Amino acid sequence: MPEEKQDKSIDQATQELIEKAEKEGINTAFDRADSLKPCPIGAAGSCCKHCGMGPCRVPLPKGKEETPEEKQKRRGVCGATAETIAARNFIRMVAGGASAHSDHGRGVAELFLAVARGKAPGYEIKDEQKLLQVALDWGIEIGDRSNNEIAVDIGEKALAEFGKQEGELITLRKAPLKRQELWKQQGVAPRGIDREIVEIMHRTHIGVDQDYVNLLKQGVRASIADGWGGSMIATELQDILFGTPAPILGKANLGVLKEKEVNIIIHGHEPLLSEMIVAAASEPEMLELAKSKGAEGINLSGMCCTANEILMRHGVPIAGNFLQQELAIVTGAVDAMVVDVQCIMQSIQTVAECYHTKIITTAAKAKIPGATHIEFDEHDAIKSAREIVKTAIENFPNRKGNILIPSQQCDQIAGFSHETINYLLGGMFRASYRPLNDNIINGRIRGVAGVVGCNNARVKHNEAHITMVKELIKNDVLVITTGCNAIACAEAGLLVPEAAAKYAGAGLAEVCETVGIPPVLHMGSCVDNSRILIAATAMVKDGGLGDDISDLPVAGAAPEWMSEKAISIGQYFVASGVYTVFGVTWPTEGSKEVTEFLFKDMEKLYGGKWDFQPDPVRAAQLMIAHIDSKRKALGIDQARERVLYDMEMRRELEG
Amino acid sequence: MAYKTVKKEAPGRGEVDILAETYEAGEPIGEEVGRWRHKLQSRDDKLKYLMSGERYWYSDDWFGSEKRKNPA
Ligand code: SF4
Ligand code: SF4
Repeated sequence: MPEEKQDKSIDQATQELIEKAEKEGINTAFDRADSLKPCPIGAAGSCCKHCGMGPCRVPLPKGKEETPEEKQKRRGVCGATAETIAARNFIRMVAGGASAHSDHGRGVAELFLAVARGKAPGYEIKDEQKLLQVALDWGIEIGDRSNNEIAVDIGEKALAEFGKQEGELITLRKAPLKRQELWKQQGVAPRGIDREIVEIMHRTHIGVDQDYVNLLKQGVRASIADGWGGSMIATELQDILFGTPAPILGKANLGVLKEKEVNIIIHGHEPLLSEMIVAAASEPEMLELAKSKGAEGINLSGMCCTANEILMRHGVPIAGNFLQQELAIVTGAVDAMVVDVQCIMQSIQTVAECYHTKIITTAAKAKIPGATHIEFDEHDAIKSAREIVKTAIENFPNRKGNILIPSQQCDQIAGFSHETINYLLGGMFRASYRPLNDNIINGRIRGVAGVVGCNNARVKHNEAHITMVKELIKNDVLVITTGCNAIACAEAGLLVPEAAAKYAGAGLAEVCETVGIPPVLHMGSCVDNSRILIAATAMVKDGGLGDDISDLPVAGAAPEWMSEKAISIGQYFVASGVYTVFGVTWPTEGSKEVTEFLFKDMEKLYGGKWDFQPDPVRAAQLMIAHIDSKRKALGIDQARERVLYDMEMRRELEG
Repeated sequence: MAYKTVKKEAPGRGEVDILAETYEAGEPIGEEVGRWRHKLQSRDDKLKYLMSGERYWYSDDWFGSEKRKNPA
């Protein structure tokens, strides 16, 4: 295989298909990343196009220190400084990310309410325990009421959180007490989810908020409304509707596609429709239809976060992460790719036109010209799902030959929700985080790192993810993962218990072996980063590791981030007290002050801060150094061996 | 519970039945196997579990950092 393909991805299946794409003249994100260089001014956050007098570009002078006079002049037409412009751009990214997660949450809440009211046939409340849990959280009466009655109250309350104007989000109550207090003191406890996002759009309009510190503060507030609000609501309600994830074995990588079966890939983010597609695809009539078209069966697989959702709940295999979406079509074996919202490349339609694949859009808010649109109707979801599965089956005979399905696929165990971790560590009668905290205190586990986020075509696919995660577990840091990082880890074989013996340090390996868990725990999709917040809170509440998330020996990272959602996630990690390192590129580099504020001053306000380090090993080392500093502050930096007293020592003691 | 047994050669006693593993298989294969939550059937059991298992949030019966004599 030519060198070049290997430069694009560490994953062999991906390399093989990049080569096939090239031979067949298919243009992919990998090619476009080569031909389309990023604009250095925009990349550094130094370009504003918020009004018709711009775009205004205010880059830092290259290769020399600027004089105060020069700095004075470095402004947009309206007078906005480079600081204002960088901060505005940054928090608009937060707004974009927070709105994506939160609009997903709203969609779930709407379906949830329809289910509770009996208006969404085919769906039901699958997890009563989680329903009760959320009812307790939100102060909703349980008594002898039916599940649906309780669910109506929960659904209404959830929806109201989006448009709330005053007070605080109800979901903030889950956070450690000290953290809630700190948010109040800093004035960043979100009032309503939509309100904080709209306020960002207002404040970043020409001529409104022109103090970068004040702008960044609103970014913090909106990000909390995402992680502890919209995303958390999405996760909680999805758990009630579809079940709280528990450990399940699945497979990952493009090798999960099957040549002789109808391949349907479900790609995007919301599990609402995909749950129904899973049901429709297993109906005997569908199987019959598939056989009548010459296929041996129907093979579902997932891509991006939808993949994580249906893997965690049904064990549906994962075909790949963000940068593998076009390549899946290049196999020539995908009969339909069903998409909803977020992280869907428009080019999949162009690639699909070269093969036989049907791209089926399903969300009213996300269409692609040329694609087949079958709208998801929550009031008759199974009908939409059947139509989609049928369209895929009927497309099977149209395959054009020249099929190449790489052989690579790896086992993985997913489904580590907070509830499941708690249960696994303590058992049914005393579920607990105690064993985790104890093993952190005794030093077997050095700390915990949340490694999450996207792929980015500007860097080698999956390389930073895997290098960073391996470096962390080698140093006894337990990794929890979501999103495309989780998929990368699955493809590299890190999500199985055996990976502990192979890659983890002795202490972490010992704990993994005892509990029977992998050294990297798959916690779900991007909205499930809210599970990481809850897990961190449980660690705090169990005791022995300080009073707040900012006391814990933990760190966060998104080594291959690209989406605005990643920035929002990073910001709410920081706002929750977590040291968070991003790779690839840093979007405020055009302003030293803004960057300095994010990298240093934020820690004084929130106990967590941002950092940027594109080298994954160095980034992991920064995280480990931070974890060690937290261990030191807690006084657990020297692992204390327990002394076993023999009889002689005992006599000495008594004497 | 019916225990699983395996046959082994015992010196001087020929083939004997001995107790096999008593733990559940470690690999959660299939949708249902890992589903520990189904073990709790009644609403009472579920609420009881929340009070104990998720006591950090729903019970006063725990001694974490936020419940010290001098609270944080
Ligand atoms: S808002 Fe100001 S900096 Fe931005 S484009 Fe308009 S004039 Fe330029
Ligand atoms: S991790 Fe990033 S690329 Fe992957 S699905 Fe989430 S937002 Fe999209």
